[in-house]
Amino acid sequence: MDRRWAIVGGTLFLLVAAWSLVFFVVPTWMQAVVLQLGEPVRTVREPGIYMKIPFIQTVLYFDRRLLEYDASPKELLTRDKQQLVVDNYTRWKIIDPLQYYQAVRDEAGAQSRLDDIVYSNLRENFGRQTLLEILSTKRDALMADITKKSDEAMRGYGIEVVDVRVKRADLPEKNEQNVFGRMRTERERLAKKYRAEGDEEARKITSNSDKDVRVLLAEAQRDAQIARGQGDAEAVRIYAEAYGRDPELFSLTRTLEAYRRALPDSTSFVLSPDGDFLRFLKSDQPAAKAPRAGQGGGAAP
Amino acid sequence: MPGNFPGPEPRREDDVLAEVRDLVEAMREKMFGGAGGGGANGGAAPRRSIGPWPFVLIAAVLYLGSGFFIVAPDQRGVILRFGQVVRQVGPGPGYHLPWPFEEVLKPSVTAIRKEEFGFRTVVVGPPARYRDVDQEALMLTGDENIVKLLFIVQYKVKADPESTEDFLFNLRDPVETVRAASEAAMRQVIGSNKIDDVLTDDRERIQVEAQRLLQQILDGYDSGLKIETVKLQDVDPPDQVSDAFKDVINAQQDRERLINEARGYANDVVPKARGQAAQMLNEADGYRLAKIQEAQGAAQRFVALHDEYSKAKDVTRERLYIEAMEEILPRIDKIVIDDKAGEKTVPYLPLDQMLRPRAAQSVAEPQPGR
Repeated sequence: MDRRWAIVGGTLFLLVAAWSLVFFVVPTWMQAVVLQLGEPVRTVREPGIYMKIPFIQTVLYFDRRLLEYDASPKELLTRDKQQLVVDNYTRWKIIDPLQYYQAVRDEAGAQSRLDDIVYSNLRENFGRQTLLEILSTKRDALMADITKKSDEAMRGYGIEVVDVRVKRADLPEKNEQNVFGRMRTERERLAKKYRAEGDEEARKITSNSDKDVRVLLAEAQRDAQIARGQGDAEAVRIYAEAYGRDPELFSLTRTLEAYRRALPDSTSFVLSPDGDFLRFLKSDQPAAKAPRAGQGGGAAP
Repeated sequence: MPGNFPGPEPRREDDVLAEVRDLVEAMREKMFGGAGGGGANGGAAPRRSIGPWPFVLIAAVLYLGSGFFIVAPDQRGVILRFGQVVRQVGPGPGYHLPWPFEEVLKPSVTAIRKEEFGFRTVVVGPPARYRDVDQEALMLTGDENIVKLLFIVQYKVKADPESTEDFLFNLRDPVETVRAASEAAMRQVIGSNKIDDVLTDDRERIQVEAQRLLQQILDGYDSGLKIETVKLQDVDPPDQVSDAFKDVINAQQDRERLINEARGYANDVVPKARGQAAQMLNEADGYRLAKIQEAQGAAQRFVALHDEYSKAKDVTRERLYIEAMEEILPRIDKIVIDDKAGEKTVPYLPLDQMLRPRAAQSVAEPQPGR
């Protein structure tokens, strides 16, 4: 019984031990270099299960995925002598693990190499462009160029540079203050302009309406005078036409009318009995002839 | 680092196997003890005849059972055989060969992931609290101004199976890659725009452009990721100059206010003037019409009078005269003086007494028409 247990246990142990000593698995996101007593003998780039000689061969794994490298921000000078703080990142891959292992050993080595090459390309290319070109117009082409040059340089290390990209490109602290100052004055200018425009427009509108008012009133005044004049003229014409038929009667009626109105109460009157009105007071002339128009009585004040 | 596999998902199979082995070990020990006890009891139990085989059987069942797995509704199951993808399965239970032959990775593929730029959510809330990260938020615009821009990016794994593999196997750090690419894309877009466009009405266009650029970058990495949205949250001038920007808004308001006030004034004054003008015209017209009517009235009266008058001129004239006098004389003070009396004596007329203050007018005896 003890033996049977030993057999089962021993078999299991042997299986596991043999498994890990003889086989190695390269997963799909990895690649490997097989070292024989420290000497690279084989590169494995395809995933799967592989065999090795136990104890003599060891396996080094390398990532196959896209790797990140985020450099620390650096100050660069543009062609128009602007300082720019550039924070760039690099995406890269190990395409030849053997070369990579021999040239840089590990990721730290790779990153320091990348840093050198990407930075020098960056500085060189940015130095040939103005700030505006870097910011907007030529950004894509610039980064593509830097990527290409860096890639060419890194191939010798078994590295492919997939993408170099500027994450941030900012002005240094002291230039930032200048920019803020400029932005402030620009806004102040705008604010002034808006207010002045408001004033301008308001004055235009007010003065225009004032003008309209004056014109309106003056026109009305004019038309009113014309209308009054027309009324007067028409009235005169009507009067003249009517009265023209008999000026004498007009004179009589109008005068009498005027007397009625023009002589107020308690006017003092000195009358002569010789006057037309009182002529009948003198009874010595009973047969006095009827007064004739135009024969005015003597008036005295 | 090399030598072990920093796989995208922790591998649980080793643990399972260890558990199985522990279990077998524990049971075996127990069995040895149990067998002795059974013998002491001297029951009908078969003596030492069981052997290890049932336990080997149990161990084998447990081992094979370790291949069962369940894929959650938001996940896809990617089954690897010796590190190589052999098949993918959707949500639900599944089976793979046990370690060391096969293993399963279960990435969440329907979840929408979110990254924040320029700010971090400190407390999800409600009420939510945020913290600004100015270093990320301040960006240079194409006209060399600086704008403070907060945005979020939402993304997920593309729906097709290849993209699931791309997502699993092509990027070592998908989150960091998305973050870096998002920042680069947004800054590139902002860098090619003017500050006023960014601050005002071009948000929509900027979002679309940034999304397109970001998608392009991520596709270039074969990331298997799809950008759902790029959304600008706050777009403000930097704090250092925000008061000046606010003042511009105020100035615009002031402009509108001044104009409105002026319009109000115009609306007040002009209609009033129109009313006044109409009033003047109406008054004048009234005057004109009244004058004409009066004249017509008087004229017709005169004509009527004249018609009658011409029939008996003298009598009518006399009558008119006397009637007028009748009417006038009763109202006034009268002094009748005979001329002849006047010839003999100088008449004394106390005019100053007779004239009351009001009556300072020249008077004349009415004279019939001249």
